[in-house]
Amino acid sequence: MGIGRELMKNKWLYAMSLPVVVYVFIFSYLPMSAHLLAFKLFIPVKGLWGSRWVGLDNLKFFFAGPDWLGVTLNTIFLNLLFMAAGTVCSLAIALLLNEIRLVYFKKVTQSLVILPHFISIVVVNLMVVNFFNGQDGLINRMLGRVGVDPVYWFQTPSVWPWLLALIFVWKGAGWGSIIYLATLTGFSEEYYESARIDGARSWQMIRHITLPLLRPTIIVLTLLALGRIFYGDFGLIYGIIGDNSLLYHSTDVIDTYTYRSLRSTNMNSYSNAAAVGLFQSVMGLVTILFFNWAVRRVDNDSKLF
Amino acid sequence: MKTRLRDSSQLTVSVAAYVSIGAFALFCLIPFWLVYIGSFTAESQIVQGFRLFPTRFSIDAYRFLLQGAQIYRSGFVSIFVTVAGTAGAVLLTSMFAYVAAHPKVKYRYALSFYIYFTMLFPPGLVGYYLLISNWLDLRDSMLALLLPLLFSAFNSFLMTAYFRTLPFELNEAATADGAHELYIFFRIIWPISKPVIATIALFYALSYWNDWFNALMFIDNPHLHPLQMMLRRIVSNSQNLDYLNTNVNLPVSATSVQLSAVVLTIGPIVFLYPFLQRYFMKGMTIGAVKG
Repeated sequence: MGIGRELMKNKWLYAMSLPVVVYVFIFSYLPMSAHLLAFKLFIPVKGLWGSRWVGLDNLKFFFAGPDWLGVTLNTIFLNLLFMAAGTVCSLAIALLLNEIRLVYFKKVTQSLVILPHFISIVVVNLMVVNFFNGQDGLINRMLGRVGVDPVYWFQTPSVWPWLLALIFVWKGAGWGSIIYLATLTGFSEEYYESARIDGARSWQMIRHITLPLLRPTIIVLTLLALGRIFYGDFGLIYGIIGDNSLLYHSTDVIDTYTYRSLRSTNMNSYSNAAAVGLFQSVMGLVTILFFNWAVRRVDNDSKLF
Repeated sequence: MKTRLRDSSQLTVSVAAYVSIGAFALFCLIPFWLVYIGSFTAESQIVQGFRLFPTRFSIDAYRFLLQGAQIYRSGFVSIFVTVAGTAGAVLLTSMFAYVAAHPKVKYRYALSFYIYFTMLFPPGLVGYYLLISNWLDLRDSMLALLLPLLFSAFNSFLMTAYFRTLPFELNEAATADGAHELYIFFRIIWPISKPVIATIALFYALSYWNDWFNALMFIDNPHLHPLQMMLRRIVSNSQNLDYLNTNVNLPVSATSVQLSAVVLTIGPIVFLYPFLQRYFMKGMTIGAVKG
């Protein structure tokens, strides 16, 4: 009955899982102890345990400062924007691809819309810089041709949430459509057959059959994304905005803020970064648990645990 | 009358579908096309901006890049890390995911939760940084590029979801015949799990190939810079092409060198893409929602 007997009985199976168990302990559980730094004044030579406790000073410093509300709101706003744009575009791509009958056209276009997903952010950044940069960048020359004054993109924070959403869609919407497409190709042909006999038009079938059937998938994916609303897309945002402080006002999220706190030459940089990180992890945990509970209420089969 | 009406509505939807999907596909393709064309454009032309079609053809940017030492060092680092990392990651992940799916294993849900908790409560950047740079002391070591990406909880859940669909009676029969668990896994389970293994291998290979963040944080020695880091260096500091270690004196612009480096970096992905696509379309959808 005991744990020991179960481990002995399936010792080879447990042994197969051991490398990952040890790995995850070292790479995920051990670093969690660094959250304690949020309550300490970290001196690298003294290490995590040797450093002095300072109670809530670091957290007070973060919440008393001018930044915390801005980065938190930016994180939430950008995530909502990405979610809305991503969901609408992925769904539209899936529905439209499903209407295409020419097999060759479908294959080629589907390959093309997924391709950007496989490209590193460094490459995306290079494209963005070269297309938007300066007065003679590609975009500004095109604007000039239709008589619009050039925009100094890298000095205009207000456009960046929308540009980042555009880049997010360019990079991820095709990839996101795979899951919707796979779901809707599984729907029974009978629904469509009987609708056709009743004289339904194509867009009526999309609106009254396909979309309602896709609803659970859309809701579950949205709730899962909402659960991660306190985690900014670090790769995309830092990869493209980098250290351009002119754009922080609209693009600085909790993750980029933490990274900058960590790198700053401030003597308390580790502890400040840890305080922000703790705030994020706690908020993240609460939202994930809440939205997983919500997923379970919507669709018990899709719950995560 | 009714049929005609339906036909015309069908036609409208079809035309709308072809036009908008075609337009979005072009939108996805054009940046690649511009980069590709730009990399072959002579220096005198590129300074006037990007063109949809080449005006004056030149391979000087490639000659400049390929005669330097850095592209070979970085290429070696990228290839080595990607191949070694992917092999290790696929082996570890598949073994773990199999055990987490095995009905005979009493603590399989506990194992899954052990992994899932790290998604609920991630360690955070500070802990990660301290672990790699202070506690494990991996600064300026290739292990700092290999180890952090060796296991992904998402990939593991994708595989577990697949393994749960397997007929475990197969194992029962083999166990009754006295086959070893390792034999069953490698000789029976692997061959029937090719789509999901190919999918996971692709995901890991891409995360290794496209990784720049670990190099940015932990690698200062240019000899250990992967291609993405090399690219980042010449993009963020375009004055400094010395980094590429080229002795030749060619009249190249920083832009065209950047673009040719991009072409060389994404070349392998675009080249392998059609072969891999048929696998991941299958593997992606097995348990994607359920995670």
